[in-house]
Amino acid sequence: MDYLAQLLLIGLGAGLIHNFVLYYFVGLCPFMGVSKKIDMALGMGLAVTFVIAIASTLSWGLTYYVLRPGAFLSSWALSLITGQAGEVDLTVLAYLVYIFSIASSVQFVEMYLRKYFPPLYKSFGIYLPLITTNCAILFACLEIMKNVVGVDTAAVWGLDKALVLSVGGGLGFTLAIVIMAGIREELELADTPKSMQGAPIAFIVAGILALAFMGFAGIDTSLGKLMLGGS
Amino acid sequence: MSAITITLLLAAFTLLAMAVVMGTILGVANKVFHVPVDVRLERVAASLPGANCGACDYVGCGEYAEAILVKGEAITKCPVGGPAVASAVGEIMGVSVEEAFPVRPVVHCAATTAQRLKQTPYHGEQTCNAANLVGGIQGCVYGCLGLGDCVAVCDYDAIHMIDGVAVIDYIKCIGCGACVKACPRNIISQVPFKADRILAVQCANKDFGKEVQEVCEVGCTGCKSCARANPDLISVVDNLPVFDYTKYDPRMSLQVIQDKCRRESMVWLGKPTPTELALAANETMPARQEAEFKTTVDQTEWRG
Repeated sequence: MDYLAQLLLIGLGAGLIHNFVLYYFVGLCPFMGVSKKIDMALGMGLAVTFVIAIASTLSWGLTYYVLRPGAFLSSWALSLITGQAGEVDLTVLAYLVYIFSIASSVQFVEMYLRKYFPPLYKSFGIYLPLITTNCAILFACLEIMKNVVGVDTAAVWGLDKALVLSVGGGLGFTLAIVIMAGIREELELADTPKSMQGAPIAFIVAGILALAFMGFAGIDTSLGKLMLGGS
Repeated sequence: MSAITITLLLAAFTLLAMAVVMGTILGVANKVFHVPVDVRLERVAASLPGANCGACDYVGCGEYAEAILVKGEAITKCPVGGPAVASAVGEIMGVSVEEAFPVRPVVHCAATTAQRLKQTPYHGEQTCNAANLVGGIQGCVYGCLGLGDCVAVCDYDAIHMIDGVAVIDYIKCIGCGACVKACPRNIISQVPFKADRILAVQCANKDFGKEVQEVCEVGCTGCKSCARANPDLISVVDNLPVFDYTKYDPRMSLQVIQDKCRRESMVWLGKPTPTELALAANETMPARQEAEFKTTVDQTEWRG
């Protein structure tokens, strides 16, 4: 029960309470760029969710088995080279390795979409390759790293928690971008002052949305107390 | 070996291994998810003008190029490029091109503000779209309102309000049809120009002669003289002569038709004749105004 509650808290926390876009303000580029139509925003959100899931699986594996001090593969390689046990800290490579895995998974998704969903591929245009530099994904990878490297052995996250965080965060991103697209579709009809048309009003709306999401703050701690019995 | 060397070695090895693994996966995926792309697409797109004006009824030149390849769309639909582009595309596609004529808009109203009768002052929003909703601005409910919605949409400076009526500059016009879509009274139509100058009807009033004369000094009364002069080419529908431009031939005796017109509705349109150019050659051009860049002019028009 505690395990499920933990997963729920992680997912809910990443998706709603600490929403990537509206709480941490990462991933603003597609949030502003592809939020003009609801269907495109939904497609973008789901593509990001998909990429985030693949990339965080990859990066969790790399962090857990290669990068962290005392990781299985690096220790094995060390013993192979020097002939004695020890541990190597490869966390300096984290950013490089994460970007590497994100870029590869984006390439993969792009090829997949081009083959099986050409209309979606076309409507994304330049924004699909730009998922590569979507900070929301790197952010998810780094969040996972924070819970794998430099924590007590008992508290190290497994793949399950990493996946829940990334998928939750991806769905949260989808939610935010779809809400934004809905508002912007209505905004097209509004009599906006000339100086505010386009991007300026979109940024103001994003700010107000972020204010609304501030209302979720603190829910996770009280929910955690309730479910995990004050731990 | 020192610890730092080992760390460096392992880091390099990690990245190398990742590169090999990811590269293999992506290489396989590239083969599995391969999408064949027609090599002609790029060439067709390159030979189109790239103005993305939308006159071909597609969103942009790229969409049109795709439609040519996939749907077998006609290659002569680009009015901007004209026959040159059509033949270039035809060469790539292996299609022969029939003779294509440039399509240009014709304004079916020639009445200047002074010639339009029964006017009421209009102080509302100065666009045709708004004025068209209000009745009684001028007697003629068919003719040009003269507020320039068509001028505003023209990207090529090819249509102007001269004495309160829209006049097209056929030297600058590329035939994108933006003005045709902008006119709320639908008095601009696209016509194939089989010669530099063609004969066209410049009136849109469908009422009977007497009513037309009450509201306009130049409008067509529907007397049918032109149709009698060339019944093959012209038919009179709703008191208005209509040209069948598919039968139009510049070699026909067309001047007769214009001479028959008792009003001023039958007009030669198109590029200026050599005589007109010679007349204009003596006129002095107004001095060119250089921008001073001293102040920023606010274009916003405030109306109460």
